[in-house]
Amino acid sequence: MDALSMGLVAAMGALATVAGASEDIESDVGSQSNPNSQVQLAAQVGNPHRIYNKAISGEPPANALWATTAAVVAYTLITKFAMPALFAIAIGASVAALFNGVFSTSAYFGRNASQRRFNQWIYLDIVRYTTTSIMAHAWITAFCITCIAYIQTQLLTPHHPFPMPVIALIWGLTVGAIGSSVGDIHYGGEREFQWRLFGQGLNTMLSGQIVRKAEAGLRNSIDNAWFCTKLGGPLTGLGFGLTVFLDNWRTTVFDPVTQAGLAIGMGLLFVILMNLYNFYVETSIRKKYGPYPGYKGDIAA
Amino acid sequence: MTVGGGAGGAPSAIDPKKLRIYGLGGALVGIYLAAILNSVLGTDIFSILAAAGAVAAAVMGANAVRRVCGYGIGTGVPSIGMLALGMGIVGASFGLSTAEQLGVSMAGVIIALIYAMVFGYIVGAIANKVMGFNIPIMEEGLTDLSGAGAMAIIGWSYAISGSLAYADMVAKVFNTGYLAIVFICGGLAILHPFNANLGPDEKQDRTLVDGLMVGSLAVVAVGLCSLATLSTIAAIITIIVGVAAWYYFYVWYYRLVKRDAAAVVGTGLLPPSAL
Repeated sequence: MDALSMGLVAAMGALATVAGASEDIESDVGSQSNPNSQVQLAAQVGNPHRIYNKAISGEPPANALWATTAAVVAYTLITKFAMPALFAIAIGASVAALFNGVFSTSAYFGRNASQRRFNQWIYLDIVRYTTTSIMAHAWITAFCITCIAYIQTQLLTPHHPFPMPVIALIWGLTVGAIGSSVGDIHYGGEREFQWRLFGQGLNTMLSGQIVRKAEAGLRNSIDNAWFCTKLGGPLTGLGFGLTVFLDNWRTTVFDPVTQAGLAIGMGLLFVILMNLYNFYVETSIRKKYGPYPGYKGDIAA
Repeated sequence: MTVGGGAGGAPSAIDPKKLRIYGLGGALVGIYLAAILNSVLGTDIFSILAAAGAVAAAVMGANAVRRVCGYGIGTGVPSIGMLALGMGIVGASFGLSTAEQLGVSMAGVIIALIYAMVFGYIVGAIANKVMGFNIPIMEEGLTDLSGAGAMAIIGWSYAISGSLAYADMVAKVFNTGYLAIVFICGGLAILHPFNANLGPDEKQDRTLVDGLMVGSLAVVAVGLCSLATLSTIAAIITIIVGVAAWYYFYVWYYRLVKRDAAAVVGTGLLPPSAL
């Protein structure tokens, strides 16, 4: 272990925290992933809306695409044209953001056009101001993840044996998976069903009955991003940042070849500690806030 | 590209058999034409033809996703797209490396296609019989998807490597990591069209034009990669053709969206019926 490697690991953790936060907000501005099913259902149960419907795919493949696009462009510019890394990564992230814009708009147009019989209109003002916000967040995610891949393959010793685009693909899939499981709950569980008591779960008969009206006027996706920036985004950032930092910390402190046992043992210790903390958080929340008013006892499956 | 272009225009359904011939035939013609013209003329500027062939295969794959997922697989659309490319990559690697071993690297594409389609049929049979999906066209759909995935991987990889030799593929596409973008862009080109147009009023022509549009975007991506592996002129040709095709198909797609949507408005409140 040397001071430079530890500094690089810390920088990777910080970059990952920013990437996680921007990834979650990017998906929330467009209502991607889990909350998307309710946005899609809303029109079908008679609630047309002015919320963005960015059905690209699950978050993992979509983010893998942005991160990989940025990485291949940056890798090409660095290896072929000897361009400075930060400049090349910024250009790569810009190409990724343009790709994101194409996929986002085609999904919004396509999904809403396929709901003709439910009278779901396509609003071009939403396309204009929401798509740019989505693209900006995708730029930040792609930039941070490509920076992490660059650090791992070019700066951190020992260099990672995989090529830079493959590392970016793997981290893109990871950030999407974490954003989908951590941040989406804040939007899908809370924001879309704001008028219900928190923690009751979603009854089937409430499917599609999402909140469509804001404090003033009709709710749009920028309002949702504002809400998710408070908790969903930062928590996703924390989750992804810890994943990147702790995982690289243990292989930087302990040599992965000569001290492999210690590195694996430290990984197991992290998993056990996190499980214990999760258990504590859940039991303390149940004690403080439960049982929920709608709870009628466990129903046999 | 013109082969896949047969998909659009008419609102009536296009027969899957016809699309299969266009898709797989277009891919084979594109890849072989590129390989023969490049080797005969000693250049690499015809690599774009292989990329265009891959677009035709991806559009056929998008139609197969549409048919299989029409049986009510909504959230499984992205998964089946990834599965297609997963099966395709196995078929492509097997075909190209076997052909290299046998000393006939030009036959690699055909071996890959046959192997991938047999592999896809087996995966489809397992999905239906063992896992109990019970979708009547599962075997047929996955056979198509696996073949489309293999052709997409080979076509776009050829546009980066400029050669069908397995050693060149490994050096220029696998070791550089460019396979990652071929995989994920190819996967999205197959899964995105139906996923983005999912809904009760989905129309086949709109979905397939979306496929052509996303496929053209993948051509741009592999063109950017080929800046590092091929001659600059070949890479620029791929990028320019990709951008032009993308613009053309995006405008066409938007026209079909305006045709199919309940209303396309500049701004406004909810429809009067919903207020």
